[in-house]
Amino acid sequence: MPTSSIDWTAVRAASGFRLAIPRTPIGGRLGERLGAGTGSSLEFQDYRPYAPGDDLRHVDWAAYARSETLAVRLYREEVAPRIDLVIDVSRSMAVTDAKHRAYGQLLGVLACASTNTAAHTRIVTTAAAAPHPLQVPEDIERFLDCGAGHSALEESHLPLRRRSLRIVVSDFLFPHDADDLVLRLARDCALLSLVQLTLRDEAEPAAAGGHRLVDVEGKGELDLVLDAAAVREYRARFSRLRLGLSVAARRVGARFAYVVAETPVRDVARGLAAAGVLEAA
Amino acid sequence: MITAPLGLLALLAIPAIVAIHLFRRRFPVRPVAGLFLWQIVRQTPEGGGKVSKLPITLSLLLECLAALALALILAGARLYSDGERAHLVVLLDDSASMAAVNARGESARDRAAQRVALEVDRLGRTARVTVVESGERPSVLAGPAAFPADAMRALEGWKPDAPHHSLALGLRLARELAGRTGRLMVISDAAAAESPSDAAGNEAGVLWVSLGQALPNVGILAAERTLSRGERGDAVTLALGNYSDRSARPRVTVSAGEKEILVRDIEVRPGSSSVTLPLPSGLPAVKVALSNDALARDNEVLLAQPLPRTVGVENRLPDGRGRDALAKALAAVAGVTSAESGHLVFTGADALDRPQPSGAWRVGFGRPPASWLAGGEPQDFVGPFVLEKRHPLLQGVTLGGVVWAGAMPLAPGVVRPLISTGDRTLAGLTSGSPRALEPDVVVNLDLDRTNLIRSPDWPILISNLIEMRRESLPGPERWNYRVGEWVRVRLGRDPKGPLRLRCGGVERTLPAARLLEFIAPSPGGLLQIVEGPERAGGSEAVVFELGVNFLDEIESNLRDRATADAGRFADVAALRAESGPESEPLFWVLLAIGGLAIVSNWSVLAPARKQG
Repeated sequence: MPTSSIDWTAVRAASGFRLAIPRTPIGGRLGERLGAGTGSSLEFQDYRPYAPGDDLRHVDWAAYARSETLAVRLYREEVAPRIDLVIDVSRSMAVTDAKHRAYGQLLGVLACASTNTAAHTRIVTTAAAAPHPLQVPEDIERFLDCGAGHSALEESHLPLRRRSLRIVVSDFLFPHDADDLVLRLARDCALLSLVQLTLRDEAEPAAAGGHRLVDVEGKGELDLVLDAAAVREYRARFSRLRLGLSVAARRVGARFAYVVAETPVRDVARGLAAAGVLEAA
Repeated sequence: MITAPLGLLALLAIPAIVAIHLFRRRFPVRPVAGLFLWQIVRQTPEGGGKVSKLPITLSLLLECLAALALALILAGARLYSDGERAHLVVLLDDSASMAAVNARGESARDRAAQRVALEVDRLGRTARVTVVESGERPSVLAGPAAFPADAMRALEGWKPDAPHHSLALGLRLARELAGRTGRLMVISDAAAAESPSDAAGNEAGVLWVSLGQALPNVGILAAERTLSRGERGDAVTLALGNYSDRSARPRVTVSAGEKEILVRDIEVRPGSSSVTLPLPSGLPAVKVALSNDALARDNEVLLAQPLPRTVGVENRLPDGRGRDALAKALAAVAGVTSAESGHLVFTGADALDRPQPSGAWRVGFGRPPASWLAGGEPQDFVGPFVLEKRHPLLQGVTLGGVVWAGAMPLAPGVVRPLISTGDRTLAGLTSGSPRALEPDVVVNLDLDRTNLIRSPDWPILISNLIEMRRESLPGPERWNYRVGEWVRVRLGRDPKGPLRLRCGGVERTLPAARLLEFIAPSPGGLLQIVEGPERAGGSEAVVFELGVNFLDEIESNLRDRATADAGRFADVAALRAESGPESEPLFWVLLAIGGLAIVSNWSVLAPARKQG
């Protein structure tokens, strides 16, 4: 198994981003961000008739003067957003050293962005284990082992919180129905962001002659001559997979970003920002 | 040991398996993350020309192991170097002389058992043995193709005691059992060359082993128990054979049950001799035994008490020379008594058309009844006479020089002729009714004028009549028999229950008939014919008691017994197909290894196939 090594220097150099927060209200504990419910922020939300017990400070006396009706001003609540960072720790994310290294860099960028967001961030790797809080970006290194036999995304009941920001990072190279998968991940969330990471060779393989293709997650092996026709067919299938994810994400208002391994970190961060996953801090 | 070398061709499967493994592993391994994206791409057929280093996988090893095991099974691999099983067929001479012992107490039977054991050891422990016991009805003692241990166990219980017999039947059975795969050995105490009656003696492909030893022996060759009239008492007459060069002095013991009747030392000179021993009257069966010598079988006889069948005769002939001649002839025949209503009635022939008294045979001499006659005058004849020689009445009768006087012409069909001349019946049996058991004898003869009563044929004719009648009376023909002799017993009535024969250890059911016929069983002794239910407590009755004895001059003569081997085993293929490969332990071991390897290989490859 390749060892993890995140170039934190490069990552921090490119970490002038935070997670993009949606304009729609989000859920969370008391914090700096506007919430979905009524609260005590300074942002006006609505009026409602006065009821005994209401705080008299919120009575709109000017409106009473005009209409002789007691009305109470309502304000939006302020919350700290919840972030669920769902990462794929299956062996496919470390099929080569380059992919594993690129995965580490990508997670480093996202971890930095999460901490820059002043949010309560949890790392979700599997449905079987409790999520882990992310205090500092370096905490992400504990999850780069990538030894699982399957991706967490293939599990049906991940411990995701309601109205949370969800960032899902994977290569998505497992058999799936994109609409079902994305719909499941987006259920009850404030914003879903999908980040797909693959090697360039996984997206655009070259004709390489006969090979025994062995699935790194033990899902079989196949003797195949990688000729032009086979490669062409593979590329078409991969494109359909990536396009399916993108379309499914758009249908639910999610963001989708595609990252090719061995892309410089800065370019990765910019790409994520361009896709709406990150925003300038 | 490989018994089917062509089966080794199956070993070619091993290089084939290696080649398959060598070529199917030619592609370099490339780990991928999304194999499912490649799987609808047209798969490349396995195999090709690029050779790389052979990967030694568990699958390869298991497949090679299975191929090796199956090839060895096909090649008929055997654990033992001899592989083929020799089949020894032994024909044992079951004659009693095989039990004769020498001074060391060793018999030819003992030597035969040792010789068989030696031969089995020589052929190896995988050999199969068939033991045939000779006799008038040869039988299989062990086998066919028994294990050596079973054969030796059967030999331990073998006790030769049969009278002299030919080995031909036994040899024929042994040959059939040997077939084309068996080695045939005959064990006897007689030399092969001295068995001309046994064609086996000089047959090819037979090892004749003579294990006899010349020994002196005194034996009882014949025995008779006679009853005497008057006060002289009964007697036992023994015919003894001394088969040695010196006189012997055995002790004779006569006993009845537990009681000794007589003990006497007698001198028996070389050759044959006889001795008569007195017996008290009225004794039941008595046992006569000689003191021990080489052969015990011929030292003892058991003689049942004879109960002679006396024929009651009634002479109703008219006075004259004929009546006198009949009385004189009857007086010369033993076992005849004069009776008022006897078994046999001599009367005038004219009385034969009257009703026949029950249980009596009638013999009519003279002019037959008028109703039987055809027209004509009586005539005298001097021959030639035509005699029914097969009829017991005319055995020994020739009628040479006889003038047959006063023969009347008889109507055809009235009398079945026994003596005739020309177209005239001179004597015969009445046709009678079919239900008449007792026939009438018609002698169409004038006794007063014929010279038959002065010829030798007269007493013969009368004696034949008496014996014919005696034969028809209830009882056995004789009271003492040799082993293997036919015994005929006339019951004289319908049996009242099941009939059984009991003799020594032999007991068997007899057919329920008036006339019983059977062979005197071996080993002999007191033979009882029992009537009644077999179950314990049943009211069975001993109908007759007979004596059955081993009396065999040839077996008693031990002087010509010899020790020698003649001939040799035939060159035969060993026994191979009779037991099949499944009796070979290696077959099952190889089958288990092959099966296990196939199953293991399947279970090893199954997950990979499932994933692929």
